[in-house]
Amino acid sequence: MSLEIESMVRYASPINPAVFPHLTMLLLGIGIFFTAWFFVYEVTSTKVSRDLFKELLLSLVAALFSGFGILFLLLWVGIYV
Amino acid sequence: MMPAMAKLQFCVLFLVYVASQCGGANVDVVSSAITVKNVDRTIDISSQLVKINSKITFENTGKSPVKSFLLAVESSSKSKLAFIGGKDSNNKDLRLVETTVKGYDNAKFWRVDLKESINAGSTASAVVETVYSKALQPYPTAITQQEEQLVKYIGNLYFYSPYPVTSQKTNVILNTKTVENFTKVKPFSQLDGTIAYGPYTNTAAFTEKELLVHYKNNSPFLTVTRLERLIEVSHWGNIAVEETIEIEHTGAKLKGPFSRYDYQQDHHSGPASVRSYKTLLPASASDVYYRDTNGNISTSNMKVKKDSVELDLRPRYPLFGGWRSHYTLGYNVPSYEYLYYSGNEYLLKMRAVDHVFDDMQIDELVTKVILPEGTTNIKVNFPFSVTKLPDSLHYTYLDTKGRPVITFSKNNIVENHIQDFQLRYTFPRILMLQEPLLVVGFLFALFLCVIIYMRLDFSIHKSEHPHKD
Repeated sequence: MSLEIESMVRYASPINPAVFPHLTMLLLGIGIFFTAWFFVYEVTSTKVSRDLFKELLLSLVAALFSGFGILFLLLWVGIYV
Repeated sequence: MMPAMAKLQFCVLFLVYVASQCGGANVDVVSSAITVKNVDRTIDISSQLVKINSKITFENTGKSPVKSFLLAVESSSKSKLAFIGGKDSNNKDLRLVETTVKGYDNAKFWRVDLKESINAGSTASAVVETVYSKALQPYPTAITQQEEQLVKYIGNLYFYSPYPVTSQKTNVILNTKTVENFTKVKPFSQLDGTIAYGPYTNTAAFTEKELLVHYKNNSPFLTVTRLERLIEVSHWGNIAVEETIEIEHTGAKLKGPFSRYDYQQDHHSGPASVRSYKTLLPASASDVYYRDTNGNISTSNMKVKKDSVELDLRPRYPLFGGWRSHYTLGYNVPSYEYLYYSGNEYLLKMRAVDHVFDDMQIDELVTKVILPEGTTNIKVNFPFSVTKLPDSLHYTYLDTKGRPVITFSKNNIVENHIQDFQLRYTFPRILMLQEPLLVVGFLFALFLCVIIYMRLDFSIHKSEHPHKD
């Protein structure tokens, strides 16, 4: 159960902190693009032309990218959650 | 009534029995087979601490081998003792166990178990280091801005030993020639900043004789009255350290007014005051901040050296006797310096307390370790005895049920206590995804609200015909 320190490996972040800014830019960029698409679609589509599946798909992709983008933004600015 | 009384009586008896058993576990007797052949003592009182370094040569004058010996600290100074440690002739740390000796209830004793026993007729040597805090009394207790600080040291002229001492020498290091008064027991000599006593031959066991030195000591008399050290572990590769420090000048109090003009004009003004001091941080420290309740304290300098980061901290005002200050110092270190893992098992190996200034003394230390959310199986190993405080929870960004906090405290800390503690815990790696998924879930819920809102019709009149494209 209790392992010795000699048999353990130093723990580094699973993602190199040096790429946090790039990841933030990329993920948030994609996230904002899909968010914009989603809202544009919401306001331009009518009751008839509206497709629930497309709405859900767009919002899910937007939420996924924005969510991870926000996390890396927090890490980048020094809020180590 | 009777059964209750009987119960109480039994409880009391049981407690007394337990107490006697506990107390009785560590009782030693002074072996008559050991004599101390030679002691070479250095008492360093040039700073605010009293550091006594004794080179002791033991001789086994009995017939059978000896496995352990006793160290003693006199009753007058045992309450001021901050640290005791020993090394053998190969410079390896000796293990000290606190113990008692019958008939000497006032003194404090430690038993040192040797790895190799001393055979009859042969000798062994050891170096014992003791550090006392608050053992130097400012005398006079209050001085004006221009005056030098004089302090009194009262100690023992002889090495306090449970065994008879054949020969002993003592060197008192003052680092000043200004000595008002000191104990004169022949043979002694005063040279530059040191007073040498001895050799004194054949002193009996437990001999005490007052050694008084009254001298000039302008070294910073700074006491950290409370230090709260917060260590926050993040599995995204960072360990954040924040120290909240309350500091007080515990030298001679300032008498009369303080003139800022004199203080700025003349650099020799206020010799006993503290203008600034140096704090050493780990070499990997980054994002250092130094602030108090007013905000950033701009009078600080940071130098990145090869093996440390040196901070030159200047409080908002110089500290005179009796004056206090309060500030927060924080920095980040990468996790690979202190965190180890194997599978889901993690080990945090970090300093329980770190350097604040040279020859520091800390009255109360509280160290808190904040672990990631979802941590279980927490076990801690301390290098010295601490008081474990109840565990609590800490809530910060993206937390749901709170992060476990391990808290411990210790009083009377000096530099020798800068040692690592080890904290083991289990953390399933998959839980790292909890934080981003929390944000994703929140955003998705927001989008769902929009989708539902667009399907609601708030118009008060019924549309006559469905919308055409």
